[in-house]
Amino acid sequence: MIEVNEQVYREVRDFLLREAELLDNGAYRDWLGCLTEDIRYQVPVRVTRDRGVESEFVSEMGHLDEDHVSLEMRIMRLETEYAWAEDPPSRTRHFVSNIRVEPGDRDDEVKVKSNLLLYRTRGDDPHYDLLSAERHDVLRRINSQWKLARRLVLLDQTTIGTHNLSILF
Amino acid sequence: MTLSVDNGINQIEGLLRQAKQSIDDGRVPVRIYNDPDIFALEKERVFGRAYIYLGHESEIPHPGDYVVRYIADDHLIVVRDEQGQIRVLFNCCRHRGMQVCRAEMGNASHFRCPYHGWTYRNTGELVGVPAGKEAYGDVLDKRAWGLRSVPRVESYAGMVFASLDAQAPSLDEYLGGMKWYLDLVTRRSEAGLEVIGAPHRWVMDANWKLPADNFVGDAYHTLMTHRSAVELDLAPRDPKFAMYGVHVHAGNGHGLGMISSPPGMELPPFWGYPQEVVESLQRSYPTPEHVAVARRINFLHGTVFPNFSVLNVMIAKDHRSAPTPMLTFRVWRPVGPDRTEVWSWFLVERDAPAWFKEQSYQTYVHTFGTSGVFEQDDTENWRGITRVAKGLMARDHELNYQMGMSFLKLDPTWPGPGEAYPLDYAEANQRAFIRRWCEYMLNEV
Repeated sequence: MIEVNEQVYREVRDFLLREAELLDNGAYRDWLGCLTEDIRYQVPVRVTRDRGVESEFVSEMGHLDEDHVSLEMRIMRLETEYAWAEDPPSRTRHFVSNIRVEPGDRDDEVKVKSNLLLYRTRGDDPHYDLLSAERHDVLRRINSQWKLARRLVLLDQTTIGTHNLSILF
Repeated sequence: MTLSVDNGINQIEGLLRQAKQSIDDGRVPVRIYNDPDIFALEKERVFGRAYIYLGHESEIPHPGDYVVRYIADDHLIVVRDEQGQIRVLFNCCRHRGMQVCRAEMGNASHFRCPYHGWTYRNTGELVGVPAGKEAYGDVLDKRAWGLRSVPRVESYAGMVFASLDAQAPSLDEYLGGMKWYLDLVTRRSEAGLEVIGAPHRWVMDANWKLPADNFVGDAYHTLMTHRSAVELDLAPRDPKFAMYGVHVHAGNGHGLGMISSPPGMELPPFWGYPQEVVESLQRSYPTPEHVAVARRINFLHGTVFPNFSVLNVMIAKDHRSAPTPMLTFRVWRPVGPDRTEVWSWFLVERDAPAWFKEQSYQTYVHTFGTSGVFEQDDTENWRGITRVAKGLMARDHELNYQMGMSFLKLDPTWPGPGEAYPLDYAEANQRAFIRRWCEYMLNEV
């Protein structure tokens, strides 16, 4: 069991900030290197429900529902000359805050919650899209390095207010 | 209706009459894709009259199940009442107009208005008025003040459509020849289709007619727009793969394309559906011609006028997987001249094997919907067109809609209804769509 102490918290925070930086800088291959081979990466659809209903999230349907291979496919696509949705690229900024770390289910893992504010603009249009979410991650320590083993992105919108999700959370 | 100072309805109608003529010559004014006055008229004359797709019966399987859906700006509750009948109720209390339902989906025997508490059964019937005796004496006729039903609600093969026009023809007549083609995707099994989960919903800064135009007939764009998918082997290696198909105007502005294997490439029959589904479609399809046509389909795209599109294609979920068929329904809900809310559903045969449902779902999510690698690039194009269609140059700027006009001949041997061309690099469907749109806009339908 990993004890969640100051050191671990700092490492986890540094991991999340570095990973956000890689995404914002378009260093997707390096970002891919931050993931475990068995990663599950999910962004479930959310639907407005009455308060009595247990969850607004729809487990059977994701905006993204990815494994390592499909994330690699998305990144390979960006590397072609024909990924029009991201060429010219979106400008994104991942603001990561409210980081909470707990012991994980496995001896080499921790559970991490964080809040994410994702800013996006394209072209010369000054309008921006903002996506807000809580991320539930699992980080695994492999050879004294942290890797992302699971990411569940709980969006704060039901109707997504940006024209597509060609960007990552 | 209020139109801006320099336009006026006469000017718009003049433009539409001109557009209706120039479409015969394969020319379309780009301004129809971003003009506030045209949009205002469209909401009334197209969305106030045509049949609009609301949802699939499998989304509300049990009594009391409801989803909230839209026809342009109208909020509608699509609910299955206790007798199992599907009702479409205007989500607007008869007392002061508050929404009686504020969730997107759920189950309710009654809808109670949060403002003053008027309460309606899920048939729309008004059954409760708080302090009714004191406030209204005995004179309030509850039977006269139920939630309003949409004038026309009809289903075809599980698909629920509604029209705000009491004078609308039957759905049967409205869909016409398109029913034959909808059967290809909706009647592969006796158990029928089911919607999985809930639809993707997102907003794009693009005009609603651009995706409708794309799905109705545009096989040509796959060559450039979806080139990245070809390079990753998600689609057939031949960038021109989408050319090798049949392009059908099914009548009333509805159209589709059905694409087969490119030359020198043997793609599996029946979209590559698993054996269970292929066996079931041979029993379930209404005619042997459906089986014969479906045998050669690998990719099917189509639009039911005005804003309901269908895509049924075999593509790979990633660069390491074999192609898998998937089916998506989508609605392009008009929100503004330059803004559309996309609704995208994933459907699969209810009795298909579980492994297949999972694989087909992953194929859908990776390629279409909010994050799909095909759809992403489509959206980029539609928003770019919308942006430049707004200006003064756009006012008298025409687009070329002439593909196939001079040389492409009808296929007289085609077994299905409508006008069929033996090549999907064609724009007959797009011209028919725009022509139908002009007819609605000029109150000629």
